[in-house]
Amino acid sequence: MYNLISILFKYIFIIIIYLFIFSIIRLIYLDIKSINTITLEGNAYLKLINRRDSLPYKVKEHYSIDDEITMGRYSDNDIFIQDPFVSKRHFKIVEDEGAYYLEDLDSANGTYVNNERIEDVVKLSNGDIIRVGNIEFLFVDRG
Amino acid sequence: MFNKKVSINSPRNLLFLFEILSLFLLLVSQWNNIEKTIYYIWIGLILIIYISNYLLNKISSGDNYIFLIVTMLMSIGIIMIYRIDPNLGMKQLLWLSGGIAVFYLTYFAIKLIRGWDRWITLYIGASYFLFIMTFLLGTRKYGAINWINIGGISFQPAEITKILVIFIIASYYNKPDVFKKYRYSDYILMGIIYSFIALLFLQRDLGTALIFYGIFLFVQFIYEEKRKLILYNIGLSSIGAILGYVLFDHVKIRIQTWIDPWSFIDNKGYQITQSLFAIAEGGFFGTGLGLGHPEFIPLAYTDFIFSAICEEMGIFTGIGIIMLFLILVYRGFKIALNQNNKFYKILAIGVSLLFGIQSIIILGGVLKLLPLTGITLPFVSYGGSSILSSFIALGILQVSSEDINYEGEEVVE
Repeated sequence: MYNLISILFKYIFIIIIYLFIFSIIRLIYLDIKSINTITLEGNAYLKLINRRDSLPYKVKEHYSIDDEITMGRYSDNDIFIQDPFVSKRHFKIVEDEGAYYLEDLDSANGTYVNNERIEDVVKLSNGDIIRVGNIEFLFVDRG
Repeated sequence: MFNKKVSINSPRNLLFLFEILSLFLLLVSQWNNIEKTIYYIWIGLILIIYISNYLLNKISSGDNYIFLIVTMLMSIGIIMIYRIDPNLGMKQLLWLSGGIAVFYLTYFAIKLIRGWDRWITLYIGASYFLFIMTFLLGTRKYGAINWINIGGISFQPAEITKILVIFIIASYYNKPDVFKKYRYSDYILMGIIYSFIALLFLQRDLGTALIFYGIFLFVQFIYEEKRKLILYNIGLSSIGAILGYVLFDHVKIRIQTWIDPWSFIDNKGYQITQSLFAIAEGGFFGTGLGLGHPEFIPLAYTDFIFSAICEEMGIFTGIGIIMLFLILVYRGFKIALNQNNKFYKILAIGVSLLFGIQSIIILGGVLKLLPLTGITLPFVSYGGSSILSSFIALGILQVSSEDINYEGEEVVE
């Protein structure tokens, strides 16, 4: 009697273990899939060039740009970075008829595009590197 | 029935079903002579596991797979241990309940107390203290002096040192600039880790020495800016390994029995050959619980539990266990990648490496892919200190999977 049940159960146990593994892998798969779709929204985005763990504060890998995006040390900015080199309101990027313009908001330490300090407003093109203090962003426009 | 069960929280229910069925099997096997306490404890543990898996989703904003994976591993382990020796099975049930309690304690301690990254000297001091204690009070078990016996409870200090080593390495690489003020600070760190390895060598605890070395080398590989240090590390360890082989007999025996256990089948190679026989005996689906002969394998409840499981529950279960460890380590690295705080990132890497290396060493050992060194399979093997330290490590991993944002608060407006 016991032997019969034991033999039956060994198959059931194996089936359960594999169903368990399968369901966990499926959940992990769904988890990973949802992460990828967030970053692919929008036409233009800023990509962080620095290795994220070299910066001692919270910063995302990608920031997508819709109509307007602002960057600064205050938390009401779209990109807020608690770096002492960053001014409270540092720069903003505005979209106008498919083109993107970067405007420096009188920041103390300045904004550099391709290593040139910008005065006033400058038009961004795909692949430009925006630097503020030690932080570097890559501007990507897939439009 | 199964279609209904495959819903969002299905792994939890599957685990529950697995445990209930194993309880039922136990009931059938003891039909004439039922011992009640075991059922109370087992049912209690099943409920704790089920509720924990449910509660953890609410308490912790972090990863909710690692605890599930671990509870599955320990369920498979406890079934096998109880089948081999009911007395040990009882003790293991208590250890597992204690382990889950320790998991929560660690979780809240790490989360609520700040400044874990500042106490590197304390970690180093505590590690040396545990080593000295081992040499003073240690007793020899299975050829290694790594047990301390205090008031009837024996434990392995090296299990705690494993966690301390991860903390030492993480505190150092969290802020290397602070330590760079002192000259040769990186060499000092290497010296400390190597002194631990040498002490473990003297205790003849080769498996743990290998774990320490593995964790150190991999974290160094990821974070060390002076790349030549990694080469020194590899070079030194190769010299050490060759010297160990020439100088120490017990190392030589391990290698000889690994290359050819069949010539020593009546003494030194007995363990490994019995392990291979058991795995071969089981086949794909195993003999069925209680119908094999795991009592022929020496130490079937600790180091060789994998062979015992393969014999009675089949190679498929064995592959399942390996897959569970794979997912666990994968989750660990994923947690490390998503963590912003560097200290917790390195802790997560260290813990994942600990689980990964430890399971590779012992699984490789019993399958004759690597020289056999006596360490436990995390969460599956019998052993109080092993279970507790594995759950401490898991608690650390659980905290690391959450968003930790201390440093941003100090910015002056």
